[in-house]
Order: sequence, then structure tokens, then C-alpha cells
Amino acid sequence: MHSGNVVISGMGVISSCGKNISETLDTFVAGRRNGAQVSLFKTDLTYPVFEVKDLIDSDVNTMRTLKLAFIAVKEAIENGGLGDVLHDFRIGVCLGTTVASQLNDTDFYSKYRETGNAPMHSVERYLKGNLAEAVAERLGVRGPSCAVVNACSSGTDAIGVGLSWLRADLCDIVICGGADELNCVPLAGFGSLGVVSDSLCKPFDKERSGLNLGEGAGVIVIEKEEICRKRGKKTELFLQGYGLAADAYHLTAPRPDGSGLEAALARAMDEAGIKPAQVAFVNAHGTATPDNDLVEGKVLSRVFGSGIKFLSTKGYTGHTLGAAGGIEAVFTAVGLREGWIPQSAGFEKADDAIGISPVIQKTVISGQYAISTSLAFGGNNSAIVIEKE
Amino acid sequence: MNIAGIGVVFNRGRGVQSLETALKEGWVPPENSVYSVPADTLKDKSVLKEMRRADDFSKMACLAAYDGFIDSGLGDTVKSSLGIILATAFGPHVTTFRFLDDILNYGDANVSPTIFSHSVHNAAASYIALVLGARGPTLTVTQFAYSFHQALIIAQAWLWERRCEYILVGSIDQCGTVMEYICRQKLRLAEDGKIKPFLFSQTPCAVPGEGSVFFLVTEGKTEKRYCSVLAQTVGTPDMYLLDSDGMAGDEKYYLKMAKGGIPVASYTPIFGSMLTVSSFSCAAAALMLKKQRHYASPVQDNPFGANICRLTEEKETESVACVRHNCGIERSQITLKR
Amino acid sequence: MEDRKEQDLAEIRKKLKELLVTNLNLEDIKPEQIKDDEILFGEGLGLDSLDAVEIVVLLQRNFDLDVKNMTEGKKIFYSVDTLARYILENRKR
Repeated sequence: MHSGNVVISGMGVISSCGKNISETLDTFVAGRRNGAQVSLFKTDLTYPVFEVKDLIDSDVNTMRTLKLAFIAVKEAIENGGLGDVLHDFRIGVCLGTTVASQLNDTDFYSKYRETGNAPMHSVERYLKGNLAEAVAERLGVRGPSCAVVNACSSGTDAIGVGLSWLRADLCDIVICGGADELNCVPLAGFGSLGVVSDSLCKPFDKERSGLNLGEGAGVIVIEKEEICRKRGKKTELFLQGYGLAADAYHLTAPRPDGSGLEAALARAMDEAGIKPAQVAFVNAHGTATPDNDLVEGKVLSRVFGSGIKFLSTKGYTGHTLGAAGGIEAVFTAVGLREGWIPQSAGFEKADDAIGISPVIQKTVISGQYAISTSLAFGGNNSAIVIEKE
Repeated sequence: MNIAGIGVVFNRGRGVQSLETALKEGWVPPENSVYSVPADTLKDKSVLKEMRRADDFSKMACLAAYDGFIDSGLGDTVKSSLGIILATAFGPHVTTFRFLDDILNYGDANVSPTIFSHSVHNAAASYIALVLGARGPTLTVTQFAYSFHQALIIAQAWLWERRCEYILVGSIDQCGTVMEYICRQKLRLAEDGKIKPFLFSQTPCAVPGEGSVFFLVTEGKTEKRYCSVLAQTVGTPDMYLLDSDGMAGDEKYYLKMAKGGIPVASYTPIFGSMLTVSSFSCAAAALMLKKQRHYASPVQDNPFGANICRLTEEKETESVACVRHNCGIERSQITLKR
Repeated sequence: MEDRKEQDLAEIRKKLKELLVTNLNLEDIKPEQIKDDEILFGEGLGLDSLDAVEIVVLLQRNFDLDVKNMTEGKKIFYSVDTLARYILENRKR
């Protein structure tokens, strides 16, 4: 068992905010929201979405989710200084997703329905497309690998699995996070649930009316501190805790009292050895659905007090499903590192029922610890604690 | 970690008793060329009373998990610290295709939210948590060749971390009509309905199957425990169980092990071909260790003269290793010890 | 005219009960066992939020009706009867 510290030595992100961390920060500073109508596929649905623009997407044999993941992984490997030493260590890959795990190709299925036969190239692509396996194969790494499919908390939970692997000494380094592409299946599905907004989303706002879907990938490299030191990489960021707890309440609605999220937060802070007062800010799940924001907002208020600084970055990225936890882990770590967080895009009017409001302008952060939360369809609640030394 | 309870849902029924009966009875031909779970197996008004909308994928997993919990005899006290880890290779694809039916039939503005909600991989684990009132950590993982193994590894890691004290860890995979079509295109299907695990063929024959197995695991030894799952394998086991089922490509890599002299068996002809068949092999191994009994391999075609287990008999057994090869690229071994 | 309206309403209630039982997978209850004034949510049939959005789809597919606003929906979906009356007054087919 490994009981030492776990550091975050590399990060990479791609979303509608930009193709890397630097572009993302520019978008945050400018307060740009790149939501627009769907252009990636034909649909009757007119909800605004947050697409990654100008992605080179000509390889039809690789799912778009994998392409997004490869870009974020590349940035994380580069700024983690791992490029030359990938084969010198035991490296695991754990990534969250929803779309990449599903065989939901409409062309394949419609042909099968019509004729009882269908060309197999989309099946072949799917069988080569387990997100974690594909990334592990591309990097040539041989540690444990699996994809987490916990719906909207997949990215955060994949990071949690990576932490467990390191503590169990199954590997030295883990590439973890999540990726998801915009796809007509979840767009239609979430639309049918009545939780998608016809306009740009307004997390925690009194007049919020639902989420916008987005796409992207967020990846962090976590490793044992002694490994990081051994290979001469300096970092000031640590992954100090992870909590996961189930609501056991309903397939689509969160438990109203928020006790699942509270349990996840308690576990994460307990692992980190910190108290709520030490948390500088929270990157909330904040989907802008009436239910999620009410439950989550009240829990944040109860646990951290009314003065807690928090935001939802989904106003900039949309809800990226399996990627969300990974993307928001990067945003949380970068927020600590840079010493500021952007305004919570989309928020204008306080909701008295929630009782607290997110930050309304670019906000300086001083403090060592930050938390990222994720609440999933099916009632999973997750939280990670990140520390800046 | 220790296996305290086992739940099984498969073609031959539900429960550990059904598993043992099937192991004793041996091979039976599949109906309609797939080892499907019969509809009646999934009827349980008591366990499934909150699951009127659930699809067969969720029902299979729920019943197996529930049975694993009951089989352990540990009672409701475990629920306050009970985690769930579900592994699947293909997820609820039957329901995914039903959702695509909706999109194709009615357009994307007019689809069923109930079907969509069940087409996500983690719906089954959510239902298990709901049925059991389990508020601990709940995780669904997917990988093609080794999802069950990854789930088992995470379960051990969680127990070491004291993330929870008990875990229901298991697998579920379905074989609907579209998957059957895909199997026909991608695999060599056995015309006689028999998986022949000891042919060690480079192009083995498969018979698709479906089902779910769940193990209730915990660090401590419990009264009704089956066996322990070793964190590290040292030495050689008393028997190897081979996952050769025609699903994972070239099976010649099993031959080296089979010719090594240690007895080998394979029960995949009973369960059917599944990427998650390893969980079924582990269930059989756990039963062997608890009952101190060997079960005859159901299909004994053996051109290489391997030392295969031919008889069902009482036999003192200390450890059994369940081995899986994936196209010769990767190999896994789960060792269970008395 | 009133008789005609009552007859239409009765037919809609009957169809609605069948659709509810089938589409919502209501077990242990037959359509004819559902009362005309049966409350749909909470008590009565005990439906939940997922059933509510499923009913929205059911209305669109079978009666060409769109209920976009779930606040409005709360009143319409109160009972079999209120839903049937809404359908009668607004249906396009």
C-alpha cells in the first residue's frame, strides 16, 4: 500500500472554451460563451450546445470522443514532462465517458433494421474505441486501464479510481479524467427528460431552465510524489482526497436532502485531512437544472457556510457528461494555481430557495484547497479535493 | 479479500443452487443458438417491486446482486457500508437500440425518456443501490476483455482504503438480436451449439450467452464464506479454470498451461460465450472450494491430451486459478484460495 | 351535444388508461381498474417525475399535443379526468 502524497503533475483540456488550458483561460477572462445551434449532425432539436470548433475530424475510423481525449492527453503528457519516460514507469489509464461506451451508431442500426444486414465498420470502430484502452494503446503503456461509465460523474470517479490504484501500488502514474463528444442520442434523451434549456444555461440562477450539452475532454496526470521527484518534475498541486456516495433514491432525480453529496464531500475532506473552512472555492456540478442546483446549492451552503466562493463552469462548456469531471478537475487545479476563478457564467439573479449565489465576477482566490463536485444521473455523488502547496 | 456470498443469473436459472445443478448436469444445447436468460427467471415481484420500468439488463444485475447479498447471510448491517462495482463489456445495448428505434420512428424530438434513462451503463448499479438501500460508493466500469478483472482490482483497492467494508462486485452482459447478428459476423459460431474449450484453436467456435454474477466481498472471513481472492499469486494452484469460449480470439495460448500437468477444467460451455465469462468461472471456482468438489468439464473433446477434469467428485482443493487470454496479447489470472 | 362530449371524454379516458398501463409499465393493475378521477401522482397511481415526462411524450405521439411547461403540466396531470379533459379540449387528432 502506498501512503504518501499524490501529486498532479500534468493537465490537459479541450472544450468549446478552447483547445488547451491557455485558450480556456482567455475565454474565461473574456467571459465568452460559445453556445450555438448544433452543427455536428442533423437534428430537429434547436437547443443551444457547446461544440468544439475546428477539430480535425477526418479519420472516420476513430470516434470523435477519442480524438478529443487524445488532444487533452497530449497536453497533459507534455506539460507533465512525461513524453520521454512513458515506458520507464507503470502507468495506468482511467477515463470516464458515456457516448464512447455505447454502440449507438444510427447509420449502422437503421441499415440493420431495414435489411437485417449492416456494414460492420462502425462496430469495428466501437470495438477499438474503449476510451481508456485506446489511450493506453496509443501511449504504449501497460498498467491497469478501464473506462468509468458513471454518467455525469464519470470523469471525477475515474480520477478517484486512479487515486485508489496509486494507493494500492498497482502503478506509479495514472492518466485520468474524462471525454465525451456531442451526440444526438444524449441530446434527444436529455431533451425528452425536460431538462435541457432552449437558451444559454443559467447555473444557480432563479430563472434557470435546464442544461446545455457540450463536449470535450479533461485529463490530469496523477502520480506518487516520490516518482515525480525521482524524474525531476516539479509541481505544487496535490490530489488529496476523493469521496463517492450513492443516493439510492431515483433513477433520474437527486435525493432532495442532498445527503449523498454531503457524504461524498465528507469523505473527500476527511481523506485530505481538512475542514470546510479551509476550502478556498468549489467548482460545483451546477448543471442549471432546477433540481440539481437546488440540492447542490443547499448542500454547499450547509457544509461550507454562506460565504463559500463557488461557481459552475458549465456556463462556458455546457454539460460535457463523462468529460465534465475531468474538465472541471483541470479548471479547479488551474484556479488554485493561477489564484483566480472566473465569474459563474449565466448567473444573474439569486434564488432564495438556494440561499447562496456563485461568484459574479473574476475572483481572486487565496487558499490552499479547492473542491470539484459531480452529481450523476442514477444518484452518484462525487467530490475531489485538490491542494496547492 | 473474501467472497462472502454469490448471486448468479444465467441461462440455467438463478442462484448458486442453479449454478451447482448446471455444473453437475453438464452441457445442454442452447435454445435458438444463444444461451439467453429465460423471461421467467427475471420475475420477482418482491425484489423488483420498485423496478416496473427497468429493462432486462437492470433486472438481471439486480437479482444477481441481491442474491449475492442474501447468500452471504450477513444481514442488513452491511448496508451502512456497502459499495457496488458493476462491470460490463457492452452495457445495456438492447435498450440503446430500443432508443434508436424511437429516434428513427418518431424523430429526436419525440423519444421516450424512460427508455433513454435505462440506456445508460450505470442504470443497473443505480437500481441495485436503490433495491438494497446501499448508500456507499457505486461504480460502473467497462472494458472489452477484462472489465470484471478491473472491477475486482478496484474492489480490493477500496477495501484496503476502507472506502467501505463490503462490496457487491460483479458483471452483467446481455446478448440481444443485434449483438447476435454482430457475433455471427465477427465470430465463428458453433454449429452444434458446443463450445469446445480444449481444442485450443486459433479460430475457436463460440455460442453467445448472457447473464450476471455478483460477489459480496469483504476483508474479513465470514461464517458462510466461499474462499478468498488472492492479491498476489504465489506458487501453482491445484486447478486452472480456462475461459476459452470462442469470444476472445486465438486460444492456442491456453495450450501451454493445459499441457503443464496441473488439472484444467472449463465451464464456459454451460454459460455461453461472453467477454465477462470470467465472473462465471470464478463463481464455479468459489463453489468448488467451498464444497471441496470438482465438477466434470461439460465438453471433453481433448485432442491434445490435456489433464482435464473428467469427473464430478469430492476432491480436496486448496486453490483454483481462473485464466483468461485475450488474443494472445494479454493474460489475466484470478486465484481463489480456500 | 353534451352527450357527444361526454361520449368523447369517456373514449379518451378509456384510451388514456390503456396508454398509461402500457407505456408506464404499471403492473398489477388493468386499465378498467383505474378510476376516472384517479389521482396520478403521489397518491392514487403513485406516478413520479419520470412518468410525468413519459406522459408528455405519450400525449405528443397519440394526440399531437405539446405540454412544454411542466408548471402548467402539474394541473393538467392531476388526475385521469383532468388529463382527459385537456386532451378533449386541445387535441389535434
